[in-house]
Amino acid sequence: MHTLKQNKLAIFIGLFPALVIYLGIAIIPIGISLYYSVMDWNGIGKMSFVGLDNYSRILTDDTFWLSVQNNIVIMLTGLVGQLPLGLIMAMLLNKGLKGSGFFRTVGFMPVVISSVMVSLIWGMIYNTEYGMLNSMLAFFGLESWQQNWLGDMKWSMLSISVAYIWQNCGLYMVIFLAALQNIPDEVNEAAELDGATGFRRTLHITIPMLRSTIMVAVVYSISNSFRVFDLIQVLTGGGPAHQTEVMTLYMYNSAFMNLRYGYGSAVSILILVFSLVVISIVNRIGREKDA
Amino acid sequence: MNKKTPLFKVMAYTFLSLFAIMNIIPIFWMIVNSFKEEQEYAANPFSFPTTLHFSNYTKAWEIANMNIYFLNSLLITFVSLIVTVLLGSLAAYFLARFTFKLRGFTYALFLLGMLVPIHATLIPIFLIMQKLSLIDTYFSLILPYTAFHLSLTVFILEGFMRGFPKDLEESGIMDGAGVFRIFWSIILPITRPAMATVVILNFIYNWNEYLFALVLITSNSLKTLPLGLANFVGVETASYTLQMSALTIALVPILIFYLLLQKQLVTGMTAGAVKG
Repeated sequence: MHTLKQNKLAIFIGLFPALVIYLGIAIIPIGISLYYSVMDWNGIGKMSFVGLDNYSRILTDDTFWLSVQNNIVIMLTGLVGQLPLGLIMAMLLNKGLKGSGFFRTVGFMPVVISSVMVSLIWGMIYNTEYGMLNSMLAFFGLESWQQNWLGDMKWSMLSISVAYIWQNCGLYMVIFLAALQNIPDEVNEAAELDGATGFRRTLHITIPMLRSTIMVAVVYSISNSFRVFDLIQVLTGGGPAHQTEVMTLYMYNSAFMNLRYGYGSAVSILILVFSLVVISIVNRIGREKDA
Repeated sequence: MNKKTPLFKVMAYTFLSLFAIMNIIPIFWMIVNSFKEEQEYAANPFSFPTTLHFSNYTKAWEIANMNIYFLNSLLITFVSLIVTVLLGSLAAYFLARFTFKLRGFTYALFLLGMLVPIHATLIPIFLIMQKLSLIDTYFSLILPYTAFHLSLTVFILEGFMRGFPKDLEESGIMDGAGVFRIFWSIILPITRPAMATVVILNFIYNWNEYLFALVLITSNSLKTLPLGLANFVGVETASYTLQMSALTIALVPILIFYLLLQKQLVTGMTAGAVKG
């Protein structure tokens, strides 16, 4: 529509400021990270090239593998906790029951609260002496069930997982709800005529209709699980004894606590690689099923 | 068409109610206890307060420097938001309404940003800010907040502007208005619905952001609400009721914001997740 020559300058002026800030701060630093990742640098002294040393040191560090393991726990928590729960909630809310609006409002509420706030609230729930959970157990006479929820190695990761489900489940609920509302009525009517009702209809009609949405949710949930930081940093700081440390926290500690910027950058590159690998595998599996 | 047996209804409501209780109880419990005296809370954290101690709130407001954190958060959130929406809508306008050689490439470049996890850029950004002596200033947060939300902003606005009819700008061209004039007086006003979504999304993301603030801000006088709260709770371990009052103070505005703008928030955040 506008092909006048003079517009070239206008286009340039219009796009330039956004591009500079965006490329300079969101894109180019990834390249810089890659560069730092083969360097040894404490931020002050001389930077020295160490090749793949950082990577091999990371990959032989037990703490790093512990953090990978915890990332997998978080990922599975999302996949088998948040997604199914969100889907069930969405299906119930799609039945046109009275009060659905209220349940939707309440269900989505944790999603808008900052993860710092979520962690601080859950920190108080899990508090050993005065926390809600332990005092509730005492109230019901179940003192023997009381635990040091965040400080005990056996329980800490589970406690974090519960808070993680609480925080994000509502997001998947509304994603699935939107998709369910897009299923044409005729589909359900046809299913009913064929005698498919209740659970069978859910399994054979509704779930397949939601396939693409489920795929999107799975990919989002996985990429989200690799980004988890705030929740754990505030709740446990990765403790006790690195038992709840995730990769982002491991990166943060190496760079900003131990001032090993090269090493930390290498971790951040590994996180990026890991998440891309997992997501592309999942995408491939998803596409194969299409065929 | 949906036949609902009584049994199904009972089961559905039981499940929904359990879920709702799970979501409300932690917050409710916190708010109830924020009104207790410390001894009363310690004696029984699982009861209603005998009297409401509002003094916790004034104390928490002062000790936790809530006014400073609120102001910092407001300032950083809104400046980033305005810059993001301004630059983003301008970029979206040229991407949506013009044809030029690198259009497709530029658009794809902007979308790429939605895949970039911020921690992959954290260390370089910290070192760049340090080099530019911007570390521990408002700018050190405004720049990344803007940069990282441009992708979604451009994506939503471009999609919306693209849908306008082709001859929309013609009257403007007839009147001899320049491209920027057309942007400002023809395109922007009718982009309002998408703009609302973008503003709300940027607001909530900036308001809640923690990781950049943690790394880039050290002065207490510059801390944002999430960072300030996390620090306060970490330091003020002696009084749980004060902690809860501080948290409630921070929580209430965002809950009101959510209840007022629920529809836009839900659709916006869902779109942000599905497309991102």
